[in-house]
Amino acid sequence: MQREHDPAVITAVTAALEASVNRALALAPVASRELAEMADTVLAIECTAPVITVYITITSMGTLQVSSYSEAKSSTRVRGAFEDFLTLATADDPAATLINSDLEIVGNTAPLLALQQIVTHMDLDWEAPLVDVLGDVAGHQLAQLLRGTFSWGKDASKSLRRQLSEFILEEGRLSPPAAELDAFYDDVQNLALRVDRLQSRLKRFAQKVGAR
Amino acid sequence: MTDHNRPSGDDQDTTHFGFTTVKTNEKEKLVRGVFDSVAGRYDLMNDLMSAGIHRLWKRFTIELSAVRSGQTVLDIAGGTGDLSARFSKLVGTDGKVILADINASMLQVGRDKLLDAGAFGNLHMVQCDAQYLPFPDNSVDCITIAFGLRNVTDKALALRSMERILKPGGRLLILEFSKPTNPLLEKIYDTYSFRILPMMGRLVANDEESYRYLAESIRKHPDQDTLMAMMEDAGFVDCQYHNMTGGIVAVHRGIKA
Repeated sequence: MQREHDPAVITAVTAALEASVNRALALAPVASRELAEMADTVLAIECTAPVITVYITITSMGTLQVSSYSEAKSSTRVRGAFEDFLTLATADDPAATLINSDLEIVGNTAPLLALQQIVTHMDLDWEAPLVDVLGDVAGHQLAQLLRGTFSWGKDASKSLRRQLSEFILEEGRLSPPAAELDAFYDDVQNLALRVDRLQSRLKRFAQKVGAR
Repeated sequence: MTDHNRPSGDDQDTTHFGFTTVKTNEKEKLVRGVFDSVAGRYDLMNDLMSAGIHRLWKRFTIELSAVRSGQTVLDIAGGTGDLSARFSKLVGTDGKVILADINASMLQVGRDKLLDAGAFGNLHMVQCDAQYLPFPDNSVDCITIAFGLRNVTDKALALRSMERILKPGGRLLILEFSKPTNPLLEKIYDTYSFRILPMMGRLVANDEESYRYLAESIRKHPDQDTLMAMMEDAGFVDCQYHNMTGGIVAVHRGIKA
């Protein structure tokens, strides 16, 4: 039996993914505890182009098992192209993106959204590994510094995005506001419908004229 | 249990030991000599020889096993216990993992490694021959044999022995070197196996001959389709295989009817 992709390659990806996620979870005890409550849940991520299916199994230890083969029944199966998954992964509002995207969801969406919530709100505790390596005093100091830097980085990034959006909309007039754009799309859709109706009337009129 | 009795020692049939033809009853001793020699540095050499990829091959094999909590798994030729360590976690405290190897040196290294890794309780070690497995009929849920079948003297006999002890619906997974599917890759692989591999054996384990045997035994091992036919002859159904790394390695799976 031949598979489309070399299992060793896919296994390398799933192993790396599993190791990274579980390393992060080891630093986020709250997220890990929440995950443990969902033990034995299996999510299937089915990519149609390229054809790869990855299974995510939540263990009772609050870790994730990522594999390319599973015989367990999956509670949720998400199917779509790679770019759809990429859009979802980078979306500000994954729940809305999931609903509005071309991704096909089979089964129960609740575990998928719960997992997404846990991962999004994962609060990494950098202090534990730092203290292990550097000792109590230096580890704590460095962790404080890192927390401050991350927090500043997060705020700065949010502020920059807001200012950039304002500049594009207000100052540069480079893009219309979202509401204006939505109204324009509605107008275009209405116009298309009216043109269709007019076309039908003309057709009917031409048939009547032809009959006489 | 029908095949526990070994044949008498006066069997003068011949078989291969790498590229050398030897008497059938001598092969076991010769193979034992090879693994006695490499046991101490087996893991290091595996990592060096495969650039660490053997871990991915084994990981995929474990995925295909679909082993669940409470099951009994037999890891034949389990050597230094890579698969057994993982199975021990998967079957949990209600399950059982038997690490079996014909070679006492390998089993010793595996036992120490597993104990150091904290794998115990549901793990059992058995020194036995894959051709005459000392277990009751229909008693095991899953059997794996990773990089071991090519060293077995009578592979058909070993496959029948495995089929006997598996429970109906139980599965056998054979992870073994196989035949590359791409002719260019095959040429590169030949150069690597017969020139670089023995050299690495000399430098790392101070044992060129054992690693030359490993390369030769891989070439003498049945290719993917032949092995699948042998599994079917032994009574396995739904047999299939997955080529990995261009067919350098293949994992075969068969179910006991």
